[in-house]
Amino acid sequence: MGRIVLDQVSKSFGDVEVIPPLNLTIEDGEFAVFVGPSGCGKSTLLRMIAGLEELTSGSIAIDDQDVTAVPPSKRGLAMVFQSYALYPHMTVRKNIGFPLRMEKMPQAEIDKRVEAAALSLNLTDYLDRKPGQLSGGQRQRVAIGRAIVRDPSAFLFDEPLSNLDAALRVGMRLEISEMHERMKTTMIYVTHDQVEAMTMANKIVVLQAGVIEQIGSPLDLYHKPQNVFVAGFIGSPKMNIFSGPEAEKFGAHTIGIRPEHTDVSMTSGTWIGRVGVAEHLGSDTFIHVHDTGLAGMITVRITGDVSVKHGDTIYLTPQAEQIHKFDAAGMRIE
Amino acid sequence: MSDRKLPRLLQTPAVLLLLVWMLVPLGMTLYFSFIRYVLNNLRRPEWTTPSPSNWRGFGNYEFVLNSKDFLLAIQNSLFIVCSILFLTIILGILIAVLINKSFPGQGIVRVLLISPFFVMPAVNAVLWINMILDPVLGLQGIAVAGLNDLIEGLRQMPVLGGFFSLWPQFEPISFRATQTSAIAVIMMVTWQWTPFAVLILMTSLQSEDQQQKEAAVLDGASTWSQFRFLTLPHLGRPIAIVVMIQAIFHLSLYAEIEIVSRGNGNKNLPYLIGEFANNNIGAASATGIFAVILANIVAIFLLRMVGKTLME
Repeated sequence: MGRIVLDQVSKSFGDVEVIPPLNLTIEDGEFAVFVGPSGCGKSTLLRMIAGLEELTSGSIAIDDQDVTAVPPSKRGLAMVFQSYALYPHMTVRKNIGFPLRMEKMPQAEIDKRVEAAALSLNLTDYLDRKPGQLSGGQRQRVAIGRAIVRDPSAFLFDEPLSNLDAALRVGMRLEISEMHERMKTTMIYVTHDQVEAMTMANKIVVLQAGVIEQIGSPLDLYHKPQNVFVAGFIGSPKMNIFSGPEAEKFGAHTIGIRPEHTDVSMTSGTWIGRVGVAEHLGSDTFIHVHDTGLAGMITVRITGDVSVKHGDTIYLTPQAEQIHKFDAAGMRIE
Repeated sequence: MSDRKLPRLLQTPAVLLLLVWMLVPLGMTLYFSFIRYVLNNLRRPEWTTPSPSNWRGFGNYEFVLNSKDFLLAIQNSLFIVCSILFLTIILGILIAVLINKSFPGQGIVRVLLISPFFVMPAVNAVLWINMILDPVLGLQGIAVAGLNDLIEGLRQMPVLGGFFSLWPQFEPISFRATQTSAIAVIMMVTWQWTPFAVLILMTSLQSEDQQQKEAAVLDGASTWSQFRFLTLPHLGRPIAIVVMIQAIFHLSLYAEIEIVSRGNGNKNLPYLIGEFANNNIGAASATGIFAVILANIVAIFLLRMVGKTLME
C-alpha cells in the first residue's frame, strides 16, 4: 500500500514562502513525477513527504494515517538521492544491509535480503567493493538496492539520474520503469527533465514557483496543456508560442503550435520565413525558422531527412486542429 | 637526456642544503656519542675538547643504559605522549561534534576554544602549576578548602550532620611531587593541544556529506548510529593526522617538565639529554641517538596506522 495525500501543505523558509498551500493525492501504485524548472520547490515537496523538511502548515497522510509528526524512518518510505548518498566506508553489502541492520534484523535474514536485492540489480559481483570503486551507474543501483531491501510502501527519487551520462540515463530510466511495473509500488520521482517525466510517469505534476500548474497523464499534458507554462515546458523541441494579430485570427490572446504539427513547404503556406539552422538527426529534421514576424524563432520538426539550407525561404502551415489557444491570463481556451 | 638533467641540476642546491642540514648534526651527535667529551673536568682537561684520541666506543651508551633515570625517561616519554594523545582525541571529537551544531555566539565560542593553542608552552606551564594546580594558592587549593568548609557547615545540621561527619576531609594534591608531576604535565599539554584536535576535526566535520546523514535518518539510524557508522569513519583520516603530528611534538616536551618539577621523578628523554648536556656531552649525544631510535619506532607505528586509514 502507499496512498499519499497532501492536504494544504505549505513551506516557508523564514519570510519566503516557497510552497503556498497545495493539495495533492498520489494513489497506491502510481508512478508520479514532480517536474518543473530548478527552484520550483519540487525537491522541497519530496523532502517534506520524506520527513526531512518540516511542514510550515498542512498535513501529510500515508494510507490514511497522518504522518505529519512521524519521524522519517517510521514513515515506511525509502529515498534515492541525487548524489546517491552511499556510505563511503562500507562495502556494497553493508550499504544495502544498513537499513535492515538498523532495524536489528537477524544477520542471516539481512544476508538473504541483500543477496536477493543484489541479484535483481546485477550487483552480485560487486558486493564486497566499496562505493568509491564503482561506476556512477553501479552506485545508483546500490542506492536503489538500499531502498528496495526495506520493502517500503513508496519510493522517493530525488533527481536520481542527473549525475549520469546520457546513455546510462536512458538505460537506468528503463530499469526504474521496469522495476515499477514489477513491484507495483508507489513511486514519486523528482526531475527537471521533461523527457524523464514523459517516459516514466503515470501521473505528472508540473510545478512552478511552488504552485501546481497541472496534474495529468503524460499525454494529457501533451495534448491539453492547461496554460502557457505547461505548454512550453512539456514537449521537445519546445512548443512555438506567440501572441499578436496572428493569434487573434484564431480568437485567442496567445496561440501555441508544436514543431511536429507544422507542415512545411518550399512553395506556399500560411506563414513565410527564412531558414536559420537545420538540425539533421537522420530520423527527424529540426528547422529553426526566422523572420516569420510571429516570434523570434519558430521551430518545426519534419520526419525524415529534408534538404534545406541556411537562408532558404520556407513556408509553414499549422495543422489547424493542433493549435492550442490561450486567453490573456495564459489559460487554455477550448 | 638533457631535459632530465636540467631539472635535477636545479634541484641539487636544495637537496644538498637539506642533506647538510640533517646529516651534519646527526653525524656530530654520532661522533660525540663515541668519544669522551665533557665541558668541564679539572682532573682530565684533555676531555674538554672533542678529539678521536678520546675514543670511548660504546662506553657512553653503556653509561646511559646503566643510569637510573634512563628507563624511567623512556617509560615517561611514552606514558606522557600516549595519555595526551588519548585525551586530546576523545575531547577533540566531543567538542568538535558539539560546536559543529549551529548556536548563537558560535563564532566567539570557536575563537575562544582555539585560543589555548596560542599560549606559549612555558607560560602555559607556569599558569597551570601556579594558578590552577597549586595546593594552597591555586584554584585547586581554593576549591578543596571551599569543599571542606562546605562539609564542615553540613556537619552542623541537626539530623544529616551525623551522616556528613563520616565524610573525610579532602586533601589538596601537590602536583610537583614525584608521583603526580607527570599527571600535571599531561593535564596542561592536553588543555593546550585539544584545540588543535578540535580545529582539525571540526574542519573535517564540516566537509561531511549531509545527504549521507539524511539517507541514514531515513534508514532508521539513531543519532548514535549516525555518529558510529558515518561520522567516526569519516574522522578516521584526520584523527590519524592529529595523532602523528602530536606524537612528533610531544616526544620532545621540555618546558613543561622543567617548570613543573625540574625533572624530579618525571624526566622524559629530551629532559635527560638536557641534564647530561650540563656537562657530559658524550652521554647526552648517546641519549640523543636513543631518542632518534625511539622516535623512529613510534613513527613507524604511526605511519602504519595512518597508512591503514588512508587505504580504507
